Amino acid sequence: MSDLSDVRAGDEIPPWEMAFVDPARMRTMAAILRDPYTVHWDRDANAALGLPGRVINQGPLNLGYIVNMLLAWAGPSCVRRLTVSFGRPVLDGERVTARGRVVSVADDDGERRATCEVWLDRDGEQVVTGTAVIALGGS
Amino acid sequence: MDTLTEEQLESLVGHRFAGGHYRIEHWENWLLTDCTGREPLPDGLAHPIVLFHVPILGVGTSIAELFALGGVSGPGSVGLEGYDWEYVRPLHEDVDYRMEGGIVTARRVVDDAGRTVDKFAFEITLFDEDDRMAARITNRWVLRR
Repeated sequence: MSDLSDVRAGDEIPPWEMAFVDPARMRTMAAILRDPYTVHWDRDANAALGLPGRVINQGPLNLGYIVNMLLAWAGPSCVRRLTVSFGRPVLDGERVTARGRVVSVADDDGERRATCEVWLDRDGEQVVTGTAVIALGGS
Repeated sequence: MDTLTEEQLESLVGHRFAGGHYRIEHWENWLLTDCTGREPLPDGLAHPIVLFHVPILGVGTSIAELFALGGVSGPGSVGLEGYDWEYVRPLHEDVDYRMEGGIVTARRVVDDAGRTVDKFAFEITLFDEDDRMAARITNRWVLRR
């Protein structure tokens, strides 16, 4: 976890990389979610989408990489709000990197919080974008 | 599957889920956290992305039922538009969370590419064992026909 005593607007959050989006993890995730959507686990199903032989990562996992960046930066119970939009899908085998930047810091509800711009980067393309509100108490 | 008429679609707004309870199991949190590529969190903390499946299952519905309500099936028929997830307090394993919620948006629009799609959103609130609000989610989907 980082030193959060002097967080300021404009600070970059240390990035978090998922070097290989693993289709096995997508299958496990589909079971946990009770998710019948074939795009996450049936390679044959995605030919009609122009993605033959590929599977599409779950949105919650894409968001999970961003969350992991935030947890590594500000502690395991730091997340207060996530507001995100999803762009193009992330596919099996790809490399993605969560990135973020502090937009503002303020006291709210009895604690010091940072509002951060966050995104998931794939070769320079932002495939998830949004805002995270993070408690800076370090727990 | 038949396409919902615009009137049928809009009538979904106000639909309330049955409501119910959900307890995040350790194994479930462990596997889910592993899927994100990190070690388990300390002290029984649940990974924040449990706010996808826990509200859906806990409120008494399922991804399959939500697809059926929206009248969609098949690859590419559902896209994620976005999430708004509020954490009033950290979520933990082995806590009995109560949930309530319903569909808040269902409307037909023309997207930026000129295609007619349906916007579909549901909101679910979680309460802890002391009946304090623990979290609230709003998930926005795009239904393509």
